[in-house]
Amino acid sequence: MSTINFANREINFKIVYYGPGLSGKTTNLKWIYSRIPEGRKGEMVSLATEDERTLFFDFLPLDLGEVKGFKTRFHLYTVPGQVFYNASRKLILRGVDGIVFVADSAPNRLRANAESMRNMRENLAEYGLKVEDLPVVLQVNKRDLPDALPVEMVRAVVDPEGRFPTFEAVATEGRGVFETLKEVSRLVLARVGSGA
Amino acid sequence: MVEPSLVLYGALYERALGVLDETLRETGARYALLIDRKGFVLAHKEALWAPKPPPLDSLATLVAGNAAATQALAKLLGEARFQEVVHQGEHMGLYVDEAGEAALLVLVFDENAPLGKIKLHGKRAAETLARLAEEALANPPKLNLDTQYREEAKALLDELFGN
Repeated sequence: MSTINFANREINFKIVYYGPGLSGKTTNLKWIYSRIPEGRKGEMVSLATEDERTLFFDFLPLDLGEVKGFKTRFHLYTVPGQVFYNASRKLILRGVDGIVFVADSAPNRLRANAESMRNMRENLAEYGLKVEDLPVVLQVNKRDLPDALPVEMVRAVVDPEGRFPTFEAVATEGRGVFETLKEVSRLVLARVGSGA
Repeated sequence: MVEPSLVLYGALYERALGVLDETLRETGARYALLIDRKGFVLAHKEALWAPKPPPLDSLATLVAGNAAATQALAKLLGEARFQEVVHQGEHMGLYVDEAGEAALLVLVFDENAPLGKIKLHGKRAAETLARLAEEALANPPKLNLDTQYREEAKALLDELFGN
């Protein structure tokens, strides 16, 4: 649920990038950070290991601007993708308003995609949430890999019911990055005032 | 169920500011913040003499993450919770205490503020703020945002992220 600060007339939303290790979650945030003009973004915070693997989370605040007298802001987070960081991953989901699931197109990561989605469902359940309760956007990343799996195959293991809006991406080049963020933002905003 | 959102406004917000202000005066701390467990700033006060604070968003996010990790550690060790957390460097320090289930009190202080005072008044303030947060959770405000909000926000999304 969004956090509203009436005194400062702010509405804040928390969007979490989830997915298996090395699928490109941090790359998404880095691209966004590099392209959003100064004044519309805060500092990017990365809690990473020396070899640049996310240890706890990355964080990037974005200002959408003022809407009906309310400053509207998005706080973007990534979770650590590596399997053994689940305790940290669970903490980041607290109070989430929307999720981008970043899946990897590499054939040898198909199982990791499925496991990460299952893990996300389990972690959400600990907060009494279901995937169906939240805006979720699926980003199928690394479409530039020569052996990239067909999108439908990736989708079949993470979203067999075809419920989530899906975007193809090459996050290293920014392809699909803003489209994904825009869609999840739109879905999150659509719930404001709807009682969801 | 979805976690309830803690919203402070009107008289409750003013009272929270009053508590933060008084805590700054009593302790000599530089900045006092009330943040929610998700890492959003609910209210903050700065001592008049204090230099510009670091980015509050980053501060709140990291403190909330840290507090969540500390709580998880406590549970691992069979404790319901760990009490307040204090970090002290050569010149600056950080005091974090639970203000009930939904919020955290954060005090940023320098070497001139006695740690005893920080802890004593920090604890008192956290208890008062916990009661305020409880009141706020019991009486959530109705947010009268309509389709117009969504339409205007959508236009801004187009502007920021392209069509």
